[in-house]
Amino acid sequence: MATKSPILAALALGLTIAIGTASGALAQASLEQSGLVGRPEGITIITDQAQWPKSFNEAPQLAELVKQGKLPPVKDRLPQDLMVIKPVKEIGKYGGTWRRGFTGPGDNENGNRINASDRPMLVDHTGAVVNPSLAKSWKMSDDGKTFTLNLRRGLRWSDGTPMSADDFVFWFEDIYSNKDILPVGIADMTPDGKPGKIVKVDDHTVNFVFDVPFYLFETLMSGDTLIGGGQAVRQSNKGSFGAYAPAHYLKKFLPKYTPGGVDAANTAAKAEGFDNWVSRLHFKKDWTLNTEVPVLGPFRTVQPINNAVWVMERNPFYWAVDTAGNQLPYLDRVTMTLAENLEVLNLRAMAGDFDLQERHIDLGKLPVLLENQQRGKYKVHLDLALNGTDAIYHFNQTYDADPEIAKWLRSTDFRRALSLAIDRKQLNETFWLGVAVPGSTAPGEVLPYFPGPGWREKWSTFDQKQANELLDKIGLTKKDEQGFRVRTDNGQRLRLQIQAVQAFLPWPKISEMVADQWAKVGIQADVRDTERSLAMTRTQNNEHQIMVWNNGGTELLYLFPRHAIPVDPTEAYMGPEHAKWYNSGGRLGKKPEDPNILKILELFTAASGQKAEDRIKTAQEIWKILIDQQYSIGTVGQSPALMGVRLVSERLGNIPSRNCIAQHCRTPGGAHPETWFYKN
Amino acid sequence: MSSLVRPETPFVSAAEDRIAAATQLQLTWWRFRKHRLAVVSGIVVILFYLIVIFADFLAVTPPHATDAARSYIPPQAVHWFDQDGSFKPHVYALKGRRDLRTFKLHYAPDPTDRRYLVWFAEGYRYRLFGIFETKTHIVGLDRGVPEDALFLLGTDQLGRDVWSRLMLATRTSLTIGLVGVSLSLFLGIFLGGISGLYGGAIDTVIQRVIEILRSIPTIPLWMGLAAALPNSWSVTQVYIAITVIISLIGWTELARVVRGRFLALREEDFITAAELAGASRLRIIFRHMVPSFLSHIIAAVSLALPAMIISETTLSFLGLGLRPPAISWGVLLQDAQNLQAIAMAPWLLLVAVPVVIVILAFNFLGDGLRDAADPYG
Amino acid sequence: MLTYILQRLGLALVTIWAISVISFVIIQLPPGDFVDAYIANLSASGSVVSQQQAQSLRQLYGLDQPVWVQYWKWISRVVQGDFGPSMEWGRPVTEVIGDRLWLTVVVSISAILLTWGIALPIGIYSAVRQYSVADYAFTLVGFIGLAVPNFLLALVIMYFGFVLFDLNIGGLFSAEYQLAPWSWGKALDLMRHLPLPAMILALAGTAQLIRIMRANLLDELRRPYVATARARGLPEWRVIVKYPVRAALNPFASTIGYLLPFVVSGSIVVSLVLSLPTVGPLLLRALIAQDMFLAGTIVLLLGVLTVVGTFISDLILMWIDPRIRAGIHG
Repeated sequence: MATKSPILAALALGLTIAIGTASGALAQASLEQSGLVGRPEGITIITDQAQWPKSFNEAPQLAELVKQGKLPPVKDRLPQDLMVIKPVKEIGKYGGTWRRGFTGPGDNENGNRINASDRPMLVDHTGAVVNPSLAKSWKMSDDGKTFTLNLRRGLRWSDGTPMSADDFVFWFEDIYSNKDILPVGIADMTPDGKPGKIVKVDDHTVNFVFDVPFYLFETLMSGDTLIGGGQAVRQSNKGSFGAYAPAHYLKKFLPKYTPGGVDAANTAAKAEGFDNWVSRLHFKKDWTLNTEVPVLGPFRTVQPINNAVWVMERNPFYWAVDTAGNQLPYLDRVTMTLAENLEVLNLRAMAGDFDLQERHIDLGKLPVLLENQQRGKYKVHLDLALNGTDAIYHFNQTYDADPEIAKWLRSTDFRRALSLAIDRKQLNETFWLGVAVPGSTAPGEVLPYFPGPGWREKWSTFDQKQANELLDKIGLTKKDEQGFRVRTDNGQRLRLQIQAVQAFLPWPKISEMVADQWAKVGIQADVRDTERSLAMTRTQNNEHQIMVWNNGGTELLYLFPRHAIPVDPTEAYMGPEHAKWYNSGGRLGKKPEDPNILKILELFTAASGQKAEDRIKTAQEIWKILIDQQYSIGTVGQSPALMGVRLVSERLGNIPSRNCIAQHCRTPGGAHPETWFYKN
Repeated sequence: MSSLVRPETPFVSAAEDRIAAATQLQLTWWRFRKHRLAVVSGIVVILFYLIVIFADFLAVTPPHATDAARSYIPPQAVHWFDQDGSFKPHVYALKGRRDLRTFKLHYAPDPTDRRYLVWFAEGYRYRLFGIFETKTHIVGLDRGVPEDALFLLGTDQLGRDVWSRLMLATRTSLTIGLVGVSLSLFLGIFLGGISGLYGGAIDTVIQRVIEILRSIPTIPLWMGLAAALPNSWSVTQVYIAITVIISLIGWTELARVVRGRFLALREEDFITAAELAGASRLRIIFRHMVPSFLSHIIAAVSLALPAMIISETTLSFLGLGLRPPAISWGVLLQDAQNLQAIAMAPWLLLVAVPVVIVILAFNFLGDGLRDAADPYG
Repeated sequence: MLTYILQRLGLALVTIWAISVISFVIIQLPPGDFVDAYIANLSASGSVVSQQQAQSLRQLYGLDQPVWVQYWKWISRVVQGDFGPSMEWGRPVTEVIGDRLWLTVVVSISAILLTWGIALPIGIYSAVRQYSVADYAFTLVGFIGLAVPNFLLALVIMYFGFVLFDLNIGGLFSAEYQLAPWSWGKALDLMRHLPLPAMILALAGTAQLIRIMRANLLDELRRPYVATARARGLPEWRVIVKYPVRAALNPFASTIGYLLPFVVSGSIVVSLVLSLPTVGPLLLRALIAQDMFLAGTIVLLLGVLTVVGTFISDLILMWIDPRIRAGIHG
């Protein structure tokens, strides 16, 4: 509370910043001074075999099991093509339980991300370099039609069974191609509408074969996509995506391998309490629900997610060691306790009930979190994200319920005016405590996709004068007695509706401030605080005018484009009908009339056949059009709001001082939890 | 009363005479007056409804005016006497800074920048009683706009003045309460009356309906109905809908009371006398029955109001009732329902104070009215 | 009298059936269904959900069929004792509720015991020492408990308890005991966590109870038989306790039935704030997620409890009040 000689305190610290006058750059520089933002650092993968350790160690519990004959010796458990990791700080010690908080059976991402290394490739701590993970190497053919993955020889599932290319083929032939499980294929495997296939070359080499050049595939494989995400995230929560699955375990649940076919499979499923063999399969392949399914990540579930406590234990066959030959992970267990609401979760974090928690921690509570560091025995780290905007205002380009409103939503100058009317510094100060970067939706400057100088500010500065001029220019000159502009069709006040959901950011409150700022240029906006699923339903039905969300994931445009361009009907706030049209190849939805939107979609489609440098240029072009047209208005971003406020127990070692916050970084997976350990 | 004979009874005093001659209403009033707590509560209630009428006048800043530079300002001290000792209430302007080590906001008053309070000053435009356009508010500043320097109860996260929003919230919450109770009252008297008066099959059916309605857990009902409201409805329409929803539950209690009273009264001698004297059904109901339980109804209503207010507060807290940008007690309390508010801006919790006062006042008032209405019950 | 009971029983069954229909309708009211809520949830955490996944999920749960078909399927299973699966938790509804139900009972009964334990003595004292300072003081405190919204109190108490006294935060168990099987230690842990929620829940009811107890007792104390007893020389405390208090408690007997539904539903909002693993927050989650079978079952449960409660209350009332037995007043 602000009562005890604040001026003196401020002067003494010399680290204060006058509110409302700080520019973005000044705020960021000052953020460095707060001591909460670290330097990006991460593990190093040792690929030179000469430097590999010659002897290996394991956790005492595992050693005990080996003695009892229940486990093969550690040397036999590890693959020939080892993953050798040099931890970020030091060699660790075995032992300890990582305590964490989760919010229920829907929060499986909480655990998926910890096991993020179970995918062929994983980006490093900068988010820019792709490292080998499950695969030891890969290659895209020169014609772009064949992508080869080289698997690690000797790699084993968590039950000891060897993993091989057969697991990839099994997924492709028996799960992906089975219309009962996946009725339609995925875009990741279908460039230009032509389905690709997976072919086994030998036990440890897999080819992904396509009919057309698909250079993008290499990037897709490295991101959090349907094809490259890995078993933990892609096969939990009733997903059946790729690109591999435990064939030896799952085969028995498929009719193809059951004597008696579909009927026998259904009978067996019903006997176990499932409706049919498909729902049984969904359960059996889900690592968060089924403790028996073999996995490849560092931790496996021993008490499922649909309990008050979700417990995971070390995978004895995990395929990585540190440079001293210790088999990873160091930690014995991970326990997640259920918190019914976020206030309680944050309060428990403050009490020191969690050892490392970045998920569900509220940036707005930062001052209180900092206050309690000593009591809770943790340290607060701020990690900054790479996406341009935490609160993006999508103007629905296919809205049609009210022709007058639809006209304005589609007017470029209207959108530009509203963008210029937003005082981003105010938003930054109020909701992000001044730590975010105000500007457009463009991805962070450090990424190659950043369109170039000037594009952070384009149409995204605070200029009420120009805003008013633009609004006047397009014909909204008449105002009512309270100063609000009126419609051109019936002379009544023009009212826009902003649909805002209370999710990880206080979007309804943020929108209230935005509405207040728009009122100053004469535009009335009504904020609709809607419940999440209701909002989603309405947006899918094309009922919304303006929708607020964030654009996380778009920093790598090709991997997760839905919050930038209308390509995925599941979530296309800037134009659901356009997304339907694009996704169905023109059969459903509405074709865009705006030539700019058409151009964006054309560019996007063409990108899959382009090589990396060209693809990057294409992405930059797309961003330039998006920002110039302002279909989606950006406010502030590159902030720690989403998973960027990290509370770390003093007892944990090998914690990087700064995490990469981005979808493909799989925060906190990208920081390699398998190398963390308890110092005491 | 007959004027033929005046009994010469020395034991009947003038006071008792008055009592014997007084109407039901007068008797009730006299008994009520003796309950001092209830009388005080009545006055408090009247004061609150005055706030409802004059909400905009009492507010000093536009309730939606946001500004990051005013975020989370604690309530300001008003200095009543000037340096020379004269009575000139004033406040000091504030300068805000954010400490980058703790990320906390600090506001320092500037004693050199004094703003004097002006009564009946000019502020934002509004319509008094919904008719007369005016800009006069109860207090303002001599220099600058009130929203920049006058913070009687502090500000919220968006820099909005809590005092002004509290005034408007009082209006919304008390009005919902009143409207809701009126609806419940109408339904309750109507259906309860029919039930009690006619009895038989109608009674049974209505009783069963009441029982079904009472058995439905209210929260799911609210959730389902609230979520079903169309997106296109304005805040006002949603507000009315919420009120209707709340009162659809409340009428059952009132109906039971009314029915009980009707049943009891049916057997009373004076009703039988009226029937024998040939009075019509309607006359019996309105001239004889209603007056005798009117006070019960009034008492029941004043006890039902606090329940309405708590319902609205709870609904808004759950995110089901009124939502921003509407302003009600529930909405304001939601702002306070998080750790950072409790830890860093506890003045936001002051909104609970008028809620508590109003609920207590209505409870005591209701008690007093009920005791006064039926001294034997 | 038997006919009366049978009649009430029949009506109770009809009421329960009506409640089942209404519950189902209410839950279906919001546009969209469980799959929408589920997708929304996943999208919010950055997961990729495809249209195909959504469609197959709908088929899996039978959500693509008309409402009355879904209702019929559900009710026919319920009558056989099969309450269906919870879509969110992926476990049978009975398991999900069962875990929490008895904890709910423990919390609510503690609250009730606390309420009665505090309110009755205070009520008696207030009646006996009417208009004394203590009387006014208790009444006032009781009223404040009644008037302050208890969910607000919950969060504030929780925070200050943590900051000032290092109290355990929310939930009913400490971290170590959550996983452990039942033992004395775990039971003790539960008891250490109970006072806070029980107190907050009890606050509102206490005031009400004090007032009613006080009013009832005052009425009784005015009766002639009390004066007689005093005149006869009985010690004061016996005068009060032997008959008046018991007579004053009579009306409460008939409200015992209503305790049943309160036990489950009375604490929803507070449980939510305090993150108690009880049925209340479960219901709220289920409603938001449109987890049809779970929400429907809980709502049905609450409705049934209320009906049963009313039934029991009527029976008790009938037993106590001879006038009703004689059928003079219906």
